[in-house]
Amino acid sequence: MRTLLVWLAGGLTLAGSSQMALASGWNMPVGVTDLSREIYNLHMAIFWICVIIGVIVFGVMFYSLVRYRHSKGAKAANFHENTTVEIIWTAIPLLILIGMAIPATATLQKIYDPSGAELDVMVTGQQWRWRYEYLGEDVAFNSNLATPRAQIRGDEERGENYLLEVDEPLVLPINRKVRFLFTSDDVIHAWWVPDFAVKQDTVPGFITENWVRINEPGIYRGQCAELCGVDHAFMPIVVHAVEEDEFDTWLAERQEMAAEEAMGIDREWEFDELMERGEGVYGSICASCHQPEGQGSPPAFPALAGNEQLLADLEWHKDVIINGVSGTAMPSFRTTLNPVELAAVITYTRNAWGNESGDAVQPAEIAERLQ
Amino acid sequence: MWGVIKSVLAAFFGVQRDRQRREDFERGNPMAFIVTGIVMGVLLVGVLALVAIWVAG
Repeated sequence: MRTLLVWLAGGLTLAGSSQMALASGWNMPVGVTDLSREIYNLHMAIFWICVIIGVIVFGVMFYSLVRYRHSKGAKAANFHENTTVEIIWTAIPLLILIGMAIPATATLQKIYDPSGAELDVMVTGQQWRWRYEYLGEDVAFNSNLATPRAQIRGDEERGENYLLEVDEPLVLPINRKVRFLFTSDDVIHAWWVPDFAVKQDTVPGFITENWVRINEPGIYRGQCAELCGVDHAFMPIVVHAVEEDEFDTWLAERQEMAAEEAMGIDREWEFDELMERGEGVYGSICASCHQPEGQGSPPAFPALAGNEQLLADLEWHKDVIINGVSGTAMPSFRTTLNPVELAAVITYTRNAWGNESGDAVQPAEIAERLQ
Repeated sequence: MWGVIKSVLAAFFGVQRDRQRREDFERGNPMAFIVTGIVMGVLLVGVLALVAIWVAG
């Protein structure tokens, strides 16, 4: 009996040290929603059930090994079956599993119930960025990695939020139920923000759902959690959770910007204006493959600087940007970019890095082509 | 008949008495076990579905 107590004490010491490991950041976060807290508590409850079972099972096993060892003259019992014992050791795990399934199912039901949402956000995975669309609000934008390439190459010191920073974060209100509709333009990605306990695959051709109601304002970061190609690690997620009135102000501002942008389609743009806008679009969308100086990275990503086909054939150039090239890594930007951005980036790539076509492509002609 | 049902239930649970097993194999014809097994299998699925509807609905 004393030996058993020693083993139990050993088990409890192990359990105690695992508690320390949990406190040191190895565990999943408690998160900032009621549901993430519930998932955390469920996880811990099941963890401790496993610990207790482990301590008992291994305690009995090691106690028996030591107490009834051969050198002490123990004789093995020799019998064929004991139905009572078999029933007990089948029934106990059954009851434990049912006991764990009840709270787990209750939580799952809450996770799968996006009804009553006050805001719908469409999240589209693309190689390699996220696109957010506030459904019915006329606000949509791309969210690209903002970590400078120099840090990735190792030429500069890594920043605090290395590979976890974006140019345009998703902005969400606290205390409102937000429903996410997930899909993908190319391959399977997964939108994962640990603090929300949301990790949802985004599957091309399908819409998957999830939802969140954030309790605390703050900046929450996440990553793509489904291997999706070379820049899988370079499509982080940043969510700014803000007070409700702050969110309403932000949304109104974005709607105004979207309306202005829509007006911009019809007017005549100056060459320099298009170049300036195009440089920004190129940097956030194109440069990860075609490289900042347009030198490309052949054979997968052809050079744009000095590209003869591009310079000779404007219509082909427009078609490639708008519709992509099937069978290659070049995606369609028909929905990712608006007509102004498309016109600007086409103009820019035709006139940057020694490309001197002199062409200025107007947003209006792109808009017409998109009809 | 009761013996067959008991044996099918024992198979669901995964524990059977050796004495009962030997008796079952003396019957010679497995049809009764096959039919009872299928019927009770369908019943089990039906009961689980009802429980799921009752809990989730």
